[in-house]
Amino acid sequence: MLRFRFIIFLGAAATLLAPSFAQTPTGNPTETASFRKQDYQAPTNCLPCHQRQYDELRSSVKSGYRNVSPLFNGLETAGNLLSGGLLRPVYADSTATTAGPTPGSTITLNTNMFTSPVLAVAPQVRAGFCFTCHNPNRERQGDDPLQREVPQLAPNTGNNFKPEIFRPLRDYHLVDANGNQVLAAEIGGDPPAGALPSPATAGITCDLCHNVTGPDLNRSFRADGFANTSILIDHSIEKIGPFPDAVNVKGEFHVSSTDRSKISFLRSGAFCNACHDVRLPINTVTSGEKNVHDNTNVNFFRLENLSTEWQIGPYNSTNNPFGKVVRCQDCHMSMFPFGGDSTYQVGDLKITSPTPGVFAQDFAAVPGISTQGNFPLQKRNVVNHYFTGVDVPLLTIDELRSRLGSNYPDVFDPGTDSHGVPKSLEARRTALLKAAVRIGLDKTDQTAHVGQPFNVRVEAVSLTGHRFPAGFSQERTTYIQLNVTDDNGFVLYQSGYVVDKPHPDTGEMQPDGNLNDEDIEHIHAVVNPGKHIVPYVSGPNNNGQNNSVFESGPDNGPDARVYTGAAEGLVLFRNELTRVFVPGDQLGRNGPDGKPVVLQSGIHFEETFSAAFANHVDNFRSLQPLRPTTFRYEIQLPTADELAAMGMELQGPLHVHAQVNYEHFPPVFLRFLVNTTGPNGPTGHSLHLLDENRIDTLLENLTNLTSSDLTVTLTN
Amino acid sequence: MKTRFTILLFVAALGCVFAQAPTGPYVPGVTYQTDNPNYLVPNPLYFEGKITWELLKIDQPATFWEYLQRGIHYQDDLENTGLAIPDYEKALAGNSLANGTCQLITAATLVGGALPATLNPPACMFTIRLRLGYLLRNTNPQRAIQLFSEVLQIDPLRLDANALIGEAYLGMASAATTDADKQAALKNAVAAFKAELALSPVTPDYTALTGDTANNAHVHWSLAEVYQQLGDTANVKNELNLYVQATQWHSDTYPWRIKLAQKRLAQ
Repeated sequence: MLRFRFIIFLGAAATLLAPSFAQTPTGNPTETASFRKQDYQAPTNCLPCHQRQYDELRSSVKSGYRNVSPLFNGLETAGNLLSGGLLRPVYADSTATTAGPTPGSTITLNTNMFTSPVLAVAPQVRAGFCFTCHNPNRERQGDDPLQREVPQLAPNTGNNFKPEIFRPLRDYHLVDANGNQVLAAEIGGDPPAGALPSPATAGITCDLCHNVTGPDLNRSFRADGFANTSILIDHSIEKIGPFPDAVNVKGEFHVSSTDRSKISFLRSGAFCNACHDVRLPINTVTSGEKNVHDNTNVNFFRLENLSTEWQIGPYNSTNNPFGKVVRCQDCHMSMFPFGGDSTYQVGDLKITSPTPGVFAQDFAAVPGISTQGNFPLQKRNVVNHYFTGVDVPLLTIDELRSRLGSNYPDVFDPGTDSHGVPKSLEARRTALLKAAVRIGLDKTDQTAHVGQPFNVRVEAVSLTGHRFPAGFSQERTTYIQLNVTDDNGFVLYQSGYVVDKPHPDTGEMQPDGNLNDEDIEHIHAVVNPGKHIVPYVSGPNNNGQNNSVFESGPDNGPDARVYTGAAEGLVLFRNELTRVFVPGDQLGRNGPDGKPVVLQSGIHFEETFSAAFANHVDNFRSLQPLRPTTFRYEIQLPTADELAAMGMELQGPLHVHAQVNYEHFPPVFLRFLVNTTGPNGPTGHSLHLLDENRIDTLLENLTNLTSSDLTVTLTN
Repeated sequence: MKTRFTILLFVAALGCVFAQAPTGPYVPGVTYQTDNPNYLVPNPLYFEGKITWELLKIDQPATFWEYLQRGIHYQDDLENTGLAIPDYEKALAGNSLANGTCQLITAATLVGGALPATLNPPACMFTIRLRLGYLLRNTNPQRAIQLFSEVLQIDPLRLDANALIGEAYLGMASAATTDADKQAALKNAVAAFKAELALSPVTPDYTALTGDTANNAHVHWSLAEVYQQLGDTANVKNELNLYVQATQWHSDTYPWRIKLAQKRLAQ
């Protein structure tokens, strides 16, 4: 008997000890749902019994704002302008065809990223690529022409695409009082009088997450439930919540699931994997990752790698300061960062930072109205549905309300909710960012000498569950601002600085006194907006998205540090999208002779701001969680002769100040979207998404997330 | 006994099959690494750049790319260039034009206008050469210049490589023992810095888009220094003027240099 137990133990141990990443799932579970089918429910249907959750979710960017965001709409538009509309969804009645997974084969392209059982070819992944994660239910419902909000463009895609009649997604998200779709008279124009938000404006809603029964292993490229909205959704009255012992719901509007497997999935970090890894069906030239399923030919690269970062990081283990797994929900659905602080050691840095995994006590539903027979509810630990992240809207409150309803919450709402959490989205995201990172200067040289090199060392550590920044990490701009001054304030060195300047490409002909619209000085880039050409031809030669200007700036740290190993210039934690040009490619700009610059031989790496144009990504520039990293600046102090020429002397001691700043999008990226969706872009007219004024008034460089100061002795 | 042992083996094997554990000894870059999302598989280019060493889970480098990554770790994380240089040398030996272990990409390399799925030998990497050259620029500037020149063979439009060549020639000029050697090095520095400027020409289109009438402030600063050593005061003034123009909307990491340039121009 003992031996038998030992055998069982060995078998189980072999199973458990093998690395989880090596598991090859065998496919999705067989459908066993036995609950009554129930089609998609608008969040307002959940509101009477879940008012708190409704209000919280409504103020998050993933529900509401994202769907009308000029940035999201601009980015989705840019991808379509380059590819010829291939990012728009197709539906079941599509008759378009595309090359099949095997050479010479052809398939009907009538399933999109969400409705394809297996993503066999890249066009299926592209079809609805952005719309799928942001609005999966609405996309699924689009198979019914009567419920379709966003029309399919196929077969008028590729070189048949008509950019001049292309509308941003948000144009379709308006209805009249009877619920019928209404369109602005002008493409991209303001909502017509009396227009109301369409169902799709709700975005990620109650009825998405609480219908998820598990990961869709067949639709994820690595058969692991990561990316491509690879979740299984069962549209039934069984709603999966966090509690296995939920009370019966009044009127059986829904049944609270008691399936522990589904509940565990909802409560796990893995629940977020399907949307918070984003994998583009583009063949990157420096990483060969493919769809592992048989009979597919999709190559991909990792645009958003957040879930993977968490999965293989210290917070998905007990090897972190809290000694337990810290899930996504513990920071983004908890009291964090308003639930108290913890102090702990990371390497040689002593950290005081908000504590994850602290939850408020409250009712999960409104007492007295939500339970069968008015069964009394009890208070217990509850999550919130703010899903606080790093974004704030780039729309004014009036613009938000014109598209999302007159009662849409103000981003700057004063006060706190019943749990003591700020109602203001802006306040929550600022606090979250301030909890993300710490720096120290203790490894800096203690003495500096006139005319000699002097080493400043900034030690930085990310406290996030994923790398920092994460998500759309190739644009989330996080960097170190460093200043070295003498005792009189004379600036000896600066990095991570910005300068007020004109931006003729977007009509700002003189400096405007605003530093929030300025890029840091490591590169100077202007993205080529392309041009309107009839007939349309897909690709960059007419549609741009390559760089009209690209040059090194005086603070050129990222390339110098990564490729050359130089201890100088900007420390930038922004990951990078790159285009690797090959012989014969046009770079997007003209030479002094006025002719397009064409790469004649070799390969050429250049940062790009278009995910659709990139064919290489560096996701290793962001800060790794709980791994202190030291960045050295070898600073040359002026010589005695140089000081004499300026008629001055340095006054010791020197003062070193370092701080971490954050921009959710860099101005250069927004100006790319201004121009490519503007009148000089491929559509030939403005889509009214972004302009210089929007950048000037709404973009904010969030300075000083954390800082450190040091005084250094100066000798002659 | 035999039956029980068989069952034991069977159950243990079953567990392994279910878990799909890697089999056989760990071979860097071959077995375990295929499941490590931080270990990138060339397609056909190797990843240029830096991946945190411990994320690669490499016990001992086995390929030129792994030596490059360990060299980066030694240089950046440990500030130990004495350990980094031998690793970069090993990386270079495995990715060398001289011994045929790497190739330059040309139009003839492409298949249907794109890179083929595999390249044998692999494409030459610029990161190895930039990093090794940078570490050797003071002690062996000629070797550094050769390495930076190879970078320009790999990527003829790569920014900053020409400026690094210029800086290396400046170092050679400082160390020159004869005036002829010094003059020759300085003239080579001028050519290299001008080649750097030629990659980012200031054209009417450029000025219309940016408002800038000059760029590459650091290159103009270095050129002013070279001309100063050559005794060419007219070009010193010209370069200082361009430096000040280039910093108009961009300042400098060393902002005091702007004041110094203006003082010198006023003299």
